[in-house]
Amino acid sequence: MVIAFVFLASMTLICSLGVVLSRSIVHSALFMSGAFLGIAGFYVMLNAPALAAFQVLIYVGAVTVVILFGIMFTQKPQARHFRTIISKQLWPGFFVTAGVGAFLAYIVTIQDWSGSEPGNGMRSVGQLGETLLGVNGAPEIFGLLFEVASVLLLVAVIAAIVVSRRKTGEGIDRGVEE
Amino acid sequence: MPPQVQQFVDTLNAALPLEGYLVVGAIMFAIGAWGALIRRNAVVVFMCIELMINAVNLSLVSFADYLPDAGGFGAGYAVLVIAVAAAEVAVGLAIVLAVYRSRKTVNVDEVNLLKG
Repeated sequence: MVIAFVFLASMTLICSLGVVLSRSIVHSALFMSGAFLGIAGFYVMLNAPALAAFQVLIYVGAVTVVILFGIMFTQKPQARHFRTIISKQLWPGFFVTAGVGAFLAYIVTIQDWSGSEPGNGMRSVGQLGETLLGVNGAPEIFGLLFEVASVLLLVAVIAAIVVSRRKTGEGIDRGVEE
Repeated sequence: MPPQVQQFVDTLNAALPLEGYLVVGAIMFAIGAWGALIRRNAVVVFMCIELMINAVNLSLVSFADYLPDAGGFGAGYAVLVIAVAAAEVAVGLAIVLAVYRSRKTVNVDEVNLLKG
């Protein structure tokens, strides 16, 4: 457990730093999928294998591909210098977020977690499905949240189409020629 | 097997405390926030926001697995968070594409007009 934890934690954190600090955007996207894979490993360790499968399918598969498409559509010449990818807030941002991270880590460390034992999660997919639908002892609010999430996904897909489509009557390659 | 080796193996096999996962989640959240603050490319800012969402998901799932009264419902919330994050990526990248079409840049420092 400890070896797996150390391996996954270092993989996740190093890949996260790679997303922030790598000069190439494509490398950032690949580092991001590495961080997501590490999180999926954590889910397996935390007795949520179904969630790990979701993570691999949705994040490592779909979100990374969508972001790579976004990179392809907005590709620019590679940044040569580190300064050009970083805005002026490099060190102020570092200090603020290091403070936030240290504060969060401190809070969760001083908290008394005695009485917490691993293994309370639900291993079986059927239990997760019943939870998502709010039946069989799960809070009923999950049924409502499930419906809201599906409506939200529909609205988001329609909004994505409407926002990103080219205006009619302005030429098919309006985005490229100008 | 000598007792020291046995003890070491037991230590390696022991279950981790909850703090380990939470600290990893906190550090990952901070790294994501740092990237969202300092990077210029809007697509990379999206990636960093995804990192922050994943860190919060990791905390949720570890709470659900460790706390006896949680009943494992955190995994359900995590699924909902994943759905909302997917919707956010779709709309966000559409907005980035629309901005790129009208302004020819995805640099968030140069996109400073609400209308124009």
